[in-house]
Amino acid sequence: MKPVLRLLANQIELRMLLVVVAVMAVLSFISPYFFTASNISNLMDQSVVIGMVALGQTLVILIGGIDLSVGSLAGVTGIVLGLACHQSGLAGGVVACLAAGGLAGLFNGLVITYGGVAAFVVTLGTMSIGRSLAYVFSGASSISDLPPALGNLSAGTVAGIPVDFLCLLAAYAVCFVFLTYAKGGRTLYAIGSNAEAARVAGLSVALWSVLAYVVSGVMSAVAAIFLASKIFSIDPIGGSGLELDAIAATVIGGASLFGGRGSIVGTLFGVFIMVFIRNGLNLLNVSPYWQGTAIGGIIIAAVLIERLLSGTRRR
Amino acid sequence: MTQETSLAPDLSVVENIMLPRLGAPGRLRWRALRAEARALLGELSAAVPLESRVADLSIAQRQLVEIAKALALASRILIFDEPTASLSPHESERLFDSIRGLAVRGRGLIFVSHRLEEIFAVTDRITVLREGAVVADGVPTKSLTQPELVRLMAGRDVADIYARTANDAPRSEVVLDVRNLAAAPRVRDISFQVRRGEIVGLAGLVGAGRSETLETLFGLRRRTGGTVLLDGAEFRPRSPRDAIRAGIGFVPEDRRVQGIVPDFSVRENLMLAHLGAHAGPALGYGERADAATALLDRLELPRRRVLDASMLNFSGGMQQKIILARWLLLEPRLLLLDEPTRGVDIATRSSIYSLLRRVASEGVACVVVSSDFEEVIGLADRIVVVSDGATVTDIPAVLVDIEKLAMFAAPRSSAERTHTILETLAATHGGTATWIDLDGPRLFCFDRVDGPAPADPGFAPGSFPEIGETRIPGALAAPAETLTGDGPLQTLLVPVHGRRGHRLGLVALTLSRVPAGFDPSAVRQQILHALASHDEAA
Repeated sequence: MKPVLRLLANQIELRMLLVVVAVMAVLSFISPYFFTASNISNLMDQSVVIGMVALGQTLVILIGGIDLSVGSLAGVTGIVLGLACHQSGLAGGVVACLAAGGLAGLFNGLVITYGGVAAFVVTLGTMSIGRSLAYVFSGASSISDLPPALGNLSAGTVAGIPVDFLCLLAAYAVCFVFLTYAKGGRTLYAIGSNAEAARVAGLSVALWSVLAYVVSGVMSAVAAIFLASKIFSIDPIGGSGLELDAIAATVIGGASLFGGRGSIVGTLFGVFIMVFIRNGLNLLNVSPYWQGTAIGGIIIAAVLIERLLSGTRRR
Repeated sequence: MTQETSLAPDLSVVENIMLPRLGAPGRLRWRALRAEARALLGELSAAVPLESRVADLSIAQRQLVEIAKALALASRILIFDEPTASLSPHESERLFDSIRGLAVRGRGLIFVSHRLEEIFAVTDRITVLREGAVVADGVPTKSLTQPELVRLMAGRDVADIYARTANDAPRSEVVLDVRNLAAAPRVRDISFQVRRGEIVGLAGLVGAGRSETLETLFGLRRRTGGTVLLDGAEFRPRSPRDAIRAGIGFVPEDRRVQGIVPDFSVRENLMLAHLGAHAGPALGYGERADAATALLDRLELPRRRVLDASMLNFSGGMQQKIILARWLLLEPRLLLLDEPTRGVDIATRSSIYSLLRRVASEGVACVVVSSDFEEVIGLADRIVVVSDGATVTDIPAVLVDIEKLAMFAAPRSSAERTHTILETLAATHGGTATWIDLDGPRLFCFDRVDGPAPADPGFAPGSFPEIGETRIPGALAAPAETLTGDGPLQTLLVPVHGRRGHRLGLVALTLSRVPAGFDPSAVRQQILHALASHDEAA
């Protein structure tokens, strides 16, 4: 194999970068509007919520788990944010929101790790509980009159780049360093690849398994904060369908649902691809009814191609 | 036929044998199926109750059921993969009888084994595989000798793969002291000690509880009884991490399940235990990089080619060396190894042995679990024999051979028949009945039953005194099939033989008072008859 090809075959991030560039090229060719400043800023905005949730989802998928509850958790933690803001201001609201996300994640992690229940089942349960609680807490109505400072999160820019998008990049940078250079990060990979071997080697398998779900819960809450900041109103149905986008971005980004494989940079590119395609479909005036079919088809195709490319390397 | 049978444990024997038939369309004719199953088991001359649940059968019986299941498919060729790994010597022989019977009736049989003596006992022709290629094709067994076969397997003269080197490590310090360890359900009563620089072998059959013992010591399994002292202090690990912090390394039995992290490079696999052991949030790979490359050199692994490659590119032997290196990197005081040479080619085996010797001579205490008796005898300084979750004996390796280990290691199910015979003897004639073997000036006692008027011969099960140290030296010095007196004690010795005609030790009856009308030759007949009828029933 030529060196360039080998690099491509071994580096999922490079492959994804090529795909991102290709998608951008195609979209800018089809629609002149794609590369306008306002659309690019719009794209960055849309990446934030999906990206925050996908970051947590990636950690969970790395250990061979899955978190279906992220969308509902974003919904219920958003309501917590709104209610707590009314009670004790923005700072109190943010703290309560993050704590609620962390607690929900802790519940997921504990039941999955110590209860030995399949992640799919547990998070399916919390998905339903979360959405239900969102309606209960909010009395099924949306919350407005939020603190004006909340809006600044998505309104401000630094050097022309939206603050919320910078937050996203920062989160991914921290996560990248953690996964590459920290003991906990390598432990997550080891758990997903062979949990038993990791345990025998003395790694803290249970602790990091639980923490992955806690981070996923917290990131759902973070997403809820950015969502509220962007819409400036909180609806109990907020965040629905986020789990699909997050899992799709992670898997398109090259993570294996069996665990042990994947990269956070790949996930970020996966998020961009998802956002670009949704944006492109809108620009092309594709009916919203058909967009689900298009997205679903693209997810399956992307993973299928990825499997064929790296095919024989799985044990 | 594999080592672990693939039967459905909750189904009956008939259902298991006829399992492929249960998927066929149409109504099941149980009467016909039962008759067919009975006929197949008859062909194997196996008396297995048709309606019992497979889970209730002994391992030997399960194997017979599995053979019958293969026969039910009208198989013309049967492949046996290490079928004797969990069988006692008696059971192995019965299996060989069945195997030979099948060959006589025109079935082709392929017998995969690493126990050379079995290969010579059972096969007609030998094909030798090395590193995935055939190196000798269908050589008649009779034309080969054991050293020639070893040379074919190794690809070179393996001078003596168990060559011992001087081990100067002072042996006084007891590193590990295990007392009456229990971990339900497999481990019942295990006791042994390991000193600095010593290699202790845990020998026994598959399923005797040896792996479970190591896992309990390493904190992978909950202890239900007993005490463990590490360097004289009570040691109770709750997780592998505790054990690692205390200076214990563990090379697990199944590399793929408990050893290798397949998505990691060799470097990270090598560093995995270090990652678990070292404190702080960083990786700490750097501080160990030099030690790691030094280790690779020592293991004769090409470091340039190895470090960044995927673990899956390497043979079982290489992988095992890397897992070993993972633990050596932590410089443990105590190294637990579970079947360290399983699935490893003979040349790598030899280098693993010499590595373990060197590690021991540097003062590390090693415990090696192995089902390969030859390996245990060749590698270990002392051998602790485990049977049915309990220690049977603790004996210097130089004193035993494969046959005696096999007799010590016999599982309860098989030892029971000799035990029953001893019980009958002791009950009918009084005195004490023992199952022993003699080797030069030394006696090995496998079992002992005291009757109503016990006559202590001076040895207990698991002991191996010199004949002079027993209370019946006269009888043992010149085994005769008549009563021989030693002071107040009279002893009758009856040699027992297996079906292949080889020795299975002696049954001894020691009496303090000879009952009226005691007829030594009648008792001898009684013993041999009892053994023979047990063989029929088994």
